[in-house]
Amino acid sequence: MTIEQSSGARQTKRNLKIKPTGLGDRVFFGLTTLAANFSFILVALILVFLSIQAWPALQANGFAFVYGATWDPDGSGVMQLGPMVWGSLLIALLGIVIATPMAVSTAYLIVYVLPKTFGSILTSIIDLLAAIPSVVLGLWGLWVFTPVAAHWAEVLHTYFSWIPIFQVTNPEAGFLRSPFIAGWIVAVMIMPIITSVTREIFSQLDRDLINGALALGGSRSSIFARVILPTSSAGIIGGVLLGLGRAVGETVAIFYVLNLSPNINWGQLLEPRGGAVASWILARFGEASNKEVSGLIAAGLVIFMVTLIVNFIANGIVNRAQPWRK
Amino acid sequence: MTNFKPRPAKQPWSRSNKAQQREIIAASILPALIAAAIYFITKIDYTVALIGLYLPLQLVVAGAVGLRAFGRRGIWDAMLMVLTIFLSANVLVLLASVLASVIFKGAPALSSQFFTQNNIYVSTTTSLDYGGVGHAILGSLIVVAITTLLAVPLGISIAVFLTQSQSRLRGPVRTFTQAISGLPSVVSGLFILSVMPLLHLEHVGFAGALALFPLMLPTIARVAEEALRLVPADLRMAALALGAPNYRAFFKVILPAAKTGIMTALLLGLARVIGETAPLVLTLQVNNGTNVNPFSGGMASLPRYIYSFVNTKYQTSQERAWGAALVLLMLVGLLFGAARILGRKKSLKTRAKKVSKKGKH
Repeated sequence: MTIEQSSGARQTKRNLKIKPTGLGDRVFFGLTTLAANFSFILVALILVFLSIQAWPALQANGFAFVYGATWDPDGSGVMQLGPMVWGSLLIALLGIVIATPMAVSTAYLIVYVLPKTFGSILTSIIDLLAAIPSVVLGLWGLWVFTPVAAHWAEVLHTYFSWIPIFQVTNPEAGFLRSPFIAGWIVAVMIMPIITSVTREIFSQLDRDLINGALALGGSRSSIFARVILPTSSAGIIGGVLLGLGRAVGETVAIFYVLNLSPNINWGQLLEPRGGAVASWILARFGEASNKEVSGLIAAGLVIFMVTLIVNFIANGIVNRAQPWRK
Repeated sequence: MTNFKPRPAKQPWSRSNKAQQREIIAASILPALIAAAIYFITKIDYTVALIGLYLPLQLVVAGAVGLRAFGRRGIWDAMLMVLTIFLSANVLVLLASVLASVIFKGAPALSSQFFTQNNIYVSTTTSLDYGGVGHAILGSLIVVAITTLLAVPLGISIAVFLTQSQSRLRGPVRTFTQAISGLPSVVSGLFILSVMPLLHLEHVGFAGALALFPLMLPTIARVAEEALRLVPADLRMAALALGAPNYRAFFKVILPAAKTGIMTALLLGLARVIGETAPLVLTLQVNNGTNVNPFSGGMASLPRYIYSFVNTKYQTSQERAWGAALVLLMLVGLLFGAARILGRKKSLKTRAKKVSKKGKH
C-alpha cells in the first residue's frame, strides 16, 4: 500500500486470497478455526455455568443482590453484596489514583528521558513487578507494608482529618486493615499494566509532532503537557481501564490486608473496614453451605460481567489508540 | 521579555555548560542533605520530612536552578523532572521492598530438606529443621504441566488462526481473547467449580489444572501471535508460490522461524499461572503429603501452601510461608529470565531476517 502510494504508480492493490488447496489444508484451517471459536465458546460457557449455579441466589434476592447490605445465607437466606461492590469500586479508584501518576512518570522517563540501556532495564523491572504473584504481594502487604502504611494513615489523619475521607471514628484502633492499605496494594498490582500500555503509546508517538514542537521553541515541560499528554491521553485512559478491570478482580492480596465487613464504608479510607467482592468469595467459601455457594457464584458472575465490559471498552480504546498494531 | 541570558559556553550546541551542570548536580544533592539533616536533628516524622520538607525544597531549588540556566521556562522543566523522578523512585522502592523482604525473610527457611520434604507431621511449632515444600513444588509443577498441555496447542492454534487465515472472524476472536485475559482468577475458579459436578470431578489436581487453563490461554495466544506476526509474509508467500500447501508452509517455514517466540509464549504463560492462588483454593483440596496422581486425592501447590500459612500467629509457620514465597518467586524469576534471554539472544526480527536471507540463496 504505502510503497505504491509513495511511488505514485497507479496500481491497485491486489487482493491475495489464500485458499485451502487440499485435504491437509482443510484439516489445518478447520482445526485452527475450531480453536479460534473456542474463545467465544469459553466466554459463553463461563456465563452459562455461572448463571445456572447463581440462579437460586439471584432469583431470591433480585436486583437488591448488588446494592442491598445484608448477608445472612443460613438464617433468612438473604444475600446482598452492596458493601462489597462499593468497597471494590472504592479500592479500585484509590488504586488508580495512586498508580496512574507513578505509571505515567515511569513511562515518560523510560521513553523520553533515560538513555536506552537504562530505559530497557527499567522496563524489565516493571515487567518483573507485574510477574510477582498476588499471594506473595499479600504476604508482603500483611507483614511488611501494613505497618508502614498504617503509619502513613496516621500521619494523614493527624494533618488532614478535616477532610471527610480521612476521618476515623476510633483513632486508637491503629489504622490497620483499611481500604487505604488495600488501595496501595492494588496500586502496586495495576501499576505495571498501566505503565506498559502508556510506554507503548509514548514510544510509538509520531516523532514529527515532538520535533515540530521543539522547532517552535517548546520546552520539555510544554511538550509533555501540550503534545505528549493530549495525543496519548486516549491510550492512557485505556490502560487505566485495563488496570481497573484487574483491580476489580484482585482477590488474594486484598483478602489479607483488608477487614471485610458487611457494614458499608462509604468513603472513610482510613477506617478499618471495607469490602471487595472477589476477596469476599474467598473469605466465605471455606465454610459455605450449598446455598451460600450459590450466592458466592452469583458474586463471581457480577465481577465477571463487570470485568468483561470494562475490558471490552478498555481494549477497544487501547487498540484504537494503537493503529500500528493492525 | 524574559531575562534569558545564556552564559558563554565552550560547546554552543550543548544544552548546558559546565557551570550549569555543576549547579544541577548541587541542586539534586543539597535539598536531600538539608532535609536529611533536619530530619535527624529534629526527629520529625519521616513521611512529613519526605513529602512536607524534602519534596517542596527540591522543587524550589530545582526551579531556581532552571530559572538561572534557561529562564522562566526552565522552572517548569526542572519541576517536571523532579516530579517524574520522585514518582518513579517510589515504584522502585516498592519493588525493592517486596523483593528484599521475600529474599531476607525467606532465605533462613531454605535448606536442602525444605525443597524435598513434605508437610506431614509438621505442626505449627515444629522447627524449621523438619518439613518443607517438596510436595508443593511437585504438585505445582504437575498441575501447571497439565494446564500447559491443554493451553499451548489451543493458544498456538488461535495465534495461527489470527495470523495465517483470512477469516472475517479474526477481529472478534482477538477481542474475545483479550477479554479473557482480563478474567479474574477467582471467577475462573468458580467456573470450574460449577462445571465439576457435571464432569464427575472431585477436588483433584486435574480440576485445579482446568481452573488455571482460562488464565494461561490468552497469554500464550497473544505472545505466540506476536511471534508469528514477526515472520515476514514474503517467506510464506514464497513457500505457497512454490506449491506448498498452507500447513506445510506453516510447519516447515513459519514455525521454525518463530520457534523462539513460541518458546517465549510458553514460558510467559507458565509464569502467569504458576503463582495463581484463588482458582486452586476453590477447586483443589489441600494435601499435606506428597501426591503425584492428578486424578485422585488432594494435591499441594506452592501458592496454596503460602496461602494457608500467611495468616498464622506462629513464628515458624510465617517463616515457612516466606520460604515458600522465595521458592515461588525464584520459579517465576527463572521462567521470566529464560523468556527474556530467549527473546534477546536471538531476537525474533534478526532470526526472521536470517531465515529470509537463507531463503534468498
